[in-house]
Amino acid sequence: MTMMTDTAPGAPRGNHFAMHLVVALVLLAIGGGYVLYELFTFGKVQFNTTNAGIFWGFAIVVYDYFLLTSTGLVMVASLYYVFGLEEFRSVARRCLWLAFAAIIGGVAVLFLELGNPFVAIWATPLNLQTASPLFWKVLLVAAYSALLALVLLGKINTREDKGSVLMIPMTALAFIVTLVAGSVYGMMAMRPMWFGGDVPVVFLIESFMGALAFTVFFSHLKNGFNHGNMRPETRLLFEGTLARMFAISIGLHFILHAGRAVTGLWSNAEGMQVWQYLVANPLFHFAMWGCIALPFVLMVLKSTRSNGMIQILAAFLVMVGLLISRYEFIIGGQQVPLFKGTWAPELLHYSPSVGEWALLVLAVGLANSVYAFAAWQLGAEDRA
Amino acid sequence: MAKWGMVIDLETCTGCQACTTACAMENNRLPGENWQDVLFYSEGEYPHLNLSWLPRPCMQCENPSCVSVCPTKATYVDEGTGVVLVDWNKCIGCKYCMVACPYGVRFYMDEAPVVQPDVKATYPGDGKRTWNPPFKMPDEYEDASKGIGIQPKGVVSKCTFCYHKISQAPEGVADLDEDNPETKEFTPACVRVCAPKSRFFGDLDNPDSYVNQLIADKGGVRLKEETGNKPKVYYLSGGGSPVVPGNRSRRS
Repeated sequence: MTMMTDTAPGAPRGNHFAMHLVVALVLLAIGGGYVLYELFTFGKVQFNTTNAGIFWGFAIVVYDYFLLTSTGLVMVASLYYVFGLEEFRSVARRCLWLAFAAIIGGVAVLFLELGNPFVAIWATPLNLQTASPLFWKVLLVAAYSALLALVLLGKINTREDKGSVLMIPMTALAFIVTLVAGSVYGMMAMRPMWFGGDVPVVFLIESFMGALAFTVFFSHLKNGFNHGNMRPETRLLFEGTLARMFAISIGLHFILHAGRAVTGLWSNAEGMQVWQYLVANPLFHFAMWGCIALPFVLMVLKSTRSNGMIQILAAFLVMVGLLISRYEFIIGGQQVPLFKGTWAPELLHYSPSVGEWALLVLAVGLANSVYAFAAWQLGAEDRA
Repeated sequence: MAKWGMVIDLETCTGCQACTTACAMENNRLPGENWQDVLFYSEGEYPHLNLSWLPRPCMQCENPSCVSVCPTKATYVDEGTGVVLVDWNKCIGCKYCMVACPYGVRFYMDEAPVVQPDVKATYPGDGKRTWNPPFKMPDEYEDASKGIGIQPKGVVSKCTFCYHKISQAPEGVADLDEDNPETKEFTPACVRVCAPKSRFFGDLDNPDSYVNQLIADKGGVRLKEETGNKPKVYYLSGGGSPVVPGNRSRRS
């Protein structure tokens, strides 16, 4: 069956989805196998979270990373499906499938982290704790995921790329889920590192920026990392509008990130001491300069943003940098114990255990498996 | 309906941790994961040192942030007593309450032990129980809907003000005092064992209660008032001196 893709006519179609699926399944087997072995053999004692103060560990970092990537990808898809920007047509369908893959990967990790995930399924909707941002987050993520699945159901093995009426509520949900995810942290007045009305907005910008990075990366992956394989209109998008949007969002992210770091270093509120630790850590500077500033420059300069390999590099750096930023934000907000005696450590130290790293491998493997299978068998990469 | 509250007199507290031990025995707590803890503060440099301490149970807040954030209403305020409880049948183990509690008095037991050796491994649990301690409360006291008993896997626990005791107290009683034979059995374990009698437990809604008298006469204060959580645990510090000892923030 011959189908059109965003691969240039005459160029090798990069029909490598079966191989992509195999690699993803291997990752899933390694990550998932290790995590399940640990959980069934030892339980969550293998995770490095403790009652001493780090309650949300790397699992929550991974979950939020994948969740926000997913909602951001729906926002990117909505540029064509809802807002009618025709030039985003070539990536819109891919973004939807990637969004679905990301939410599956993220929620799988959350289920492995929660104490009683199956109780959450009934206890959350039935008890209507409307004061809790987490109540809304669970409900909204469930509605968002269901709607996304419904929209994609209508796109299986069709080449039509018309916008569905469901895209409007789904886009609205993507925005709201992202804002509520930020509120889960932003409402914590007792944790100054997290607290603030700007946090949901920061999440929104990061979500969109991350999604653009994933769009760039997976579009190139689809074309075998060969810029020349792309259709002219797709190439134009990546060198023009999308690259500019990418640069603007990275710039905003840089400003917000730097702003929070500077105000954090200045503040003497209890809990803000963690900024001194974070800024003294080379990881912070790798994320700040290597994964935010550098991609920004690469996407601003015309000579570099039109180079396919540079686009891939910038996207990859942003993907890594966002994970580091998410890690620093979530873990950093808990590193200063809220109420302890002076015999407790001034700053709690945390690093993910092997089992927690395996959760990331699991999420990457699962998300890629879903996407690769959809591209291989369900027409995720086909379009009219 | 009583609104039970506690008064802790820091001027007489010796930091002996009998309260911590009694609570651990009464409520099957793991070593190092004490619902009732005593925090120690060392101030100054040798030889000008000062050691001080602060007993810290759950503050049983009137406006608890842990209740607001719980997505399943597993954490709730008991209407009859005003005590903040956890329904283990509804707790999903998301730990948002632990994140939101300004006092750090909530506990999840599925993780690495705070202190070694890991007694959970020595006394492994059966069924849903996280562990099976050699000391434990009678089975008839256990009530998962109120977070009383041996903590199951995957849930968060906290101080219940010894709900299994205080809920049996005679109606209308103003104070639960270990020196009063009529209320002795209903007095929380940490109050009952306090050797210097630094702890007092009574009905904050009863104008005749001794706890209200102490709060009024000795200027009882609450921790972290700025959070708006309105704790029902009051501290007497002799006026003037800060409740939380020492220079908590040691930022250089």
